[in-house]
Amino acid sequence: MSSEPIVRVGLVLGFAVLIPSVFVLLAGHNPWSVLTTLLLYALGPQGWSEVLLHAIPLTLIGLGVAFALRAGLFNIGSDGQLIAGALLSVVFAPYFSGWGVTGLLIFLVLGFVGGAALGAFVGYLRAWFGTSEIIVTIMLNYVALQMVSYLIRGPMQESSRFWPRSYAIPEDCVLPIIVPGTRLHAGLFVALLMAMLCAVAQKRTVLGFQSSVLGANPGAAAYAGFPVKTLTLVVMAISGGLAGLAGAVEVAGIYQRIEENMAEGFGLAGIAVALIARLEASGIPLAACLFGIFFAGAGALQREVGLPFPLVWVIEAAMIFAAGALHWALAGRKVTA
Amino acid sequence: MIDLLLISGLLAASIRLGMAIGLAAIGEAASEQSGIFNIGIEGIMLVGAFVAAWGSVHTGSPWLGVLLAMLIGLALAGFHALVVLVVGIDQFVSGIGMVIFGLGFSSFAARLTIGARPTAVPGLAALDLGVLSHIPIIGPILFAQSPLAYFAIALAVATGWVLKRTALGLEIRACGANAAVAEAMAIPVKRRQTACILFGGVTAGLGGAYLSVVQVNAFVEGMVAGRGFLAVACVMLGRRRPLAGFVAGLGFGLAEATQIRLQTLYPDLPYQFLVMLPYIAAITALVVGHASRRARPA
Repeated sequence: MSSEPIVRVGLVLGFAVLIPSVFVLLAGHNPWSVLTTLLLYALGPQGWSEVLLHAIPLTLIGLGVAFALRAGLFNIGSDGQLIAGALLSVVFAPYFSGWGVTGLLIFLVLGFVGGAALGAFVGYLRAWFGTSEIIVTIMLNYVALQMVSYLIRGPMQESSRFWPRSYAIPEDCVLPIIVPGTRLHAGLFVALLMAMLCAVAQKRTVLGFQSSVLGANPGAAAYAGFPVKTLTLVVMAISGGLAGLAGAVEVAGIYQRIEENMAEGFGLAGIAVALIARLEASGIPLAACLFGIFFAGAGALQREVGLPFPLVWVIEAAMIFAAGALHWALAGRKVTA
Repeated sequence: MIDLLLISGLLAASIRLGMAIGLAAIGEAASEQSGIFNIGIEGIMLVGAFVAAWGSVHTGSPWLGVLLAMLIGLALAGFHALVVLVVGIDQFVSGIGMVIFGLGFSSFAARLTIGARPTAVPGLAALDLGVLSHIPIIGPILFAQSPLAYFAIALAVATGWVLKRTALGLEIRACGANAAVAEAMAIPVKRRQTACILFGGVTAGLGGAYLSVVQVNAFVEGMVAGRGFLAVACVMLGRRRPLAGFVAGLGFGLAEATQIRLQTLYPDLPYQFLVMLPYIAAITALVVGHASRRARPA
């Protein structure tokens, strides 16, 4: 291994490009033409709104993951928290019929509350029982998936009882489309607002400061007299709440009901988004757009070229490793300089 | 008598259903004793399950499939070791990367080769010791499991013995307890840790192979369904002892086997609540396990 930073950066970037390319080659396609197809679609007249559409939940989930990870907590349960948020808001949605914008706001707040409740539960177990938040959040994902599967075939199923999906939410709770002719909805503003709030929370609030210290050095946080247990609970609640909000936004903006496999795989993608943005709230919307390109583009590749959609996961993994390794590649500069 | 038969069937099934988790837990226990977590074993198991199925379909020999799965597990764990020990990426970040990679690799390759829908895979036959395997009640439990199951039990015992009773095991545990001190004692820390991570990769690959060529005889996308994470939970429950982690894995097999039987016994109960049981059991066990550890004097 050379210690030259340029060689290292080259290695890392080469790796990030090489791994997905190998998979494309093995599938019998030309990586270059696949990449241009992907980009032409994603940045073209049809694709750009789909890219932003995917970036909305990815931003919210990524913000939540980053918020927890700054405090040293791995929230891998965004999928479950997203479901919890969507469920809670859809359970109460019928009551908001005729409430107008107030109904929509309460709908979104309930989404946050649902995810936050599940996140707080994990934080509670972590802080008071020392239970690994990694394992608990993952286990709760499977529990939440089964719960949704039951509810949309049981008590929450639409009245015709034909499809396994919930009843529709009232029109008051639907997020308006902001660009006519596309699916792009006002959830975009919700995501950007949350990114701003998180950036402020990170830099300017006691909570942001204390959680950064907790993440960097738990011993120091305890020694400084921070309420570490409460902090853990609150951070996990906010992290889960953002994922829950993503669930409510997905329902209000796209599905208008709960469907099986909605937002599938967004939880893991949100982790990638948070890591690539280096946990900076201001960078997360951009990282989310990058993954929006992959998600929207991979859908197009599957339709047009016949490349299986799971290629997205391979790209995602390569980017996680590359983002982590850039740190190593650039750290070499300090040593040599 | 009928009760006994039921229990016998249940126990035989729990060994069958828990083996994949138990196998992965053996290697993960060794890896964690050396100080390195690998939550990526979920991804390695997925790739192992796919590769074993693919190899088995293409060569007609499930044993070759199992071997391939072990090799791919070795390679992926080698990557985890490189990234964590040399490049210095956080072990949990690398683990999550591996989970996502495994998901992508297995699903992408499966759709292009053996098809997205389940294909029948030539499986490993269960052991047939003639009379012994047909002894009522204990026969199916003790003498009619897959050959891999007996291998796994031996492996769990052997791994535990090496870690606890040999000089090598002492060195490995020293790396996990305090890497700086171990280094000062001239123990090649990174080499020991790499060996343990690689071992963990092999058993995870084996666990995945067990799923596709023994338990299900097919590859289904996402078929590992959290068993890799459950294996990590088992290692926590077994306090990083390989045999205890392995037994905890069989415990989840029991939860799974019970859950499936309850589905047939109570068809009116929504099956989703029963499918949840093993996952809820994992959370409960971790909480209770911690509480009992705290109650004990240090």
